[in-house]
Amino acid sequence: MSALPVAVTCGEPAGIGPEIAAAAWAELKGDVPMLWIGDPRHLPGGTPIAEIADPAEAVRVCDTALPVFPHRFAGPVTPGTPDLSLAQGVVDAIRIGVDLVRSGSASALCTAPIHKKVLQDGAGFAYPGHTEFLAHLGGDVDVVMMLASDQLRVVPATIHIALSDVPSALTPGRLRRVIETTATGLRERFGIAAPRLAVAGLNPHAGEGGAMGREELEWIGPMIDEIAQSGLDVSGPKSADTMFHAAARETYDAAICMYHDQALIPIKTLDFDRGVNVTLGLPFVRTSPDHGTAFDIAGKGIANPSSMIEALRMAAKMAAA
Amino acid sequence: MHPKLAIIPGDPSGIGPELIAKLLSQDGVTEAADILLVGDAHIWQRGAAQAGCEVTLNTIGEDAIAGFQGLAHLDMQTIAPEDVRIAQTTVAGGTTSLRCLDKALDLAQAGLVHGVLFAPFNKAAMTSAGLNAEDEHRYMARYLGFTGYHSEINVLDDLMTTRVTSHIGLKDVAANIDGPGIERAIELAHATLARSGKTRPHVAVAALNPHAGDNGKFGREEIDVIEPVVKACQSRQMNVTGPWPSDTVFLKAKRGEVDAVVTMYHDQGQIAIKLMGFERGVTVAGGLPIPVATPAHGTAFDIAGQGVANVGATRQAFDLLVRMAGNAAPEVAA
Repeated sequence: MSALPVAVTCGEPAGIGPEIAAAAWAELKGDVPMLWIGDPRHLPGGTPIAEIADPAEAVRVCDTALPVFPHRFAGPVTPGTPDLSLAQGVVDAIRIGVDLVRSGSASALCTAPIHKKVLQDGAGFAYPGHTEFLAHLGGDVDVVMMLASDQLRVVPATIHIALSDVPSALTPGRLRRVIETTATGLRERFGIAAPRLAVAGLNPHAGEGGAMGREELEWIGPMIDEIAQSGLDVSGPKSADTMFHAAARETYDAAICMYHDQALIPIKTLDFDRGVNVTLGLPFVRTSPDHGTAFDIAGKGIANPSSMIEALRMAAKMAAA
Repeated sequence: MHPKLAIIPGDPSGIGPELIAKLLSQDGVTEAADILLVGDAHIWQRGAAQAGCEVTLNTIGEDAIAGFQGLAHLDMQTIAPEDVRIAQTTVAGGTTSLRCLDKALDLAQAGLVHGVLFAPFNKAAMTSAGLNAEDEHRYMARYLGFTGYHSEINVLDDLMTTRVTSHIGLKDVAANIDGPGIERAIELAHATLARSGKTRPHVAVAALNPHAGDNGKFGREEIDVIEPVVKACQSRQMNVTGPWPSDTVFLKAKRGEVDAVVTMYHDQGQIAIKLMGFERGVTVAGGLPIPVATPAHGTAFDIAGQGVANVGATRQAFDLLVRMAGNAAPEVAA
């Protein structure tokens, strides 16, 4: 295990971020050394904490207390009730986390969920989302989103757009970049020397020879062939409905999907609580739980920390790869 | 009612005859229904040999069909034994499939059997033998002279899925989603569940867009088209909910909270169903006046003749047919 801690950002303090971080520490302790960046007042009462001024202290104290790298916010928080005056602190914590990991004081970044609207209204946050902000902090790099669990890794080539916009948003340039960034990410972050990628078709039965959609014939298939000839182990386009059962999953390291639900249906149906969001393409490891701020249950002690725990485990594993 | 079922071998070159032999030797099968095997004696015998099971052919004549009980056999003589080519697509194999299917449908239409189970067909073989239809579902509807709405239903254990669009390009999906189409798919799920014995089934309707459009931010079909249909069905006292984000609606199904999911496009439902139970899925010819079911998998030429085919889906299809055939067709929702 890495001697450096995973830097965990607090995320939206009125959401479930602080409590799932505390619960994840209680579960993992020294198995996955971490430090939590945020205002200790925002953690659930009774959480054993150790405020540290030097990230290097985290590994020593994390068996007995949650190491907190303190960042003072404008005030305390009421779970479930977002407060715009705290928004700047949320953004600052992300910057601090990126600084720690880029300067070599932390092994990886694991981010708790933010609430975009709160940050827009409270801190003038101008990015479409968490990931885009990190891509900026990482040097304005191209990134892709991967959802990963023990059983499956999926990468959607298009994400939060209407289904009717998918065929036009799915351009050859985008698909090629997603395939290449994923392959590089699997090599560099997952330690897979010769990653195997399976590409889903856009249409049912991958178009069935043009009978139900022609994108596979016209460019997806030729592009995959071309990339395969360059030496990458990439196959497809495959019929999406038969590429996710257990035997099929063993034939690849990641599935490249054409749209959000094509990727999210299989991973959530398989591993709802344990899916982790991984950003590939950044100059550092970044994971996050695959859920939102959940204001409706924040502070009630009922939030499920499974995805956060898996995100921390995966961050540490990826940092060691 | 003790149902009477016709069972046909599907394509004789595939795993169908073997599967039926295995089915018949399972516990509880011949007790659950009177079964009429419709097909050539040598096909059934070969299937039994492949499966390593004993199948006793109690061959009866046409005149005895009306009163048959237990396990009986109607000999068809559709293909010479030497023309059966294991793991090959042949016109003769397609002819066997079509002739046995026609006969089983005739018997069902005459009221002599209450449902039809077919082992996997080979579409290419049937097409070369004169299927003359896009698939066997459309063929059966035409053969039965049925002009009402019908559509393939995919079944996994206690979950059914119907879909609003099917074998069309993804770019055409949104334009083909409309209120009447969604309503028909909901009604079909509802009626099929009722026929299988579910009282007050819960039908969940999937959204079209990611996160169900997130309040119109990425797609408005949920607001403009799907929600109004769901509300209209609810006002008819149907237990219908949605639109649900499609990446979590199948978790509800896994937890047993829903009996059917109406999906908007092919892969939305098929990804989840095949992921959850690739070897147990069943296809029902939804909407036809006669219950017809088949395992969802194909002829599996790669393992045909080896005796290793998994009978799970065939058993599921049989059990579902027994339930459907034992219940009268419900009134079609007005």
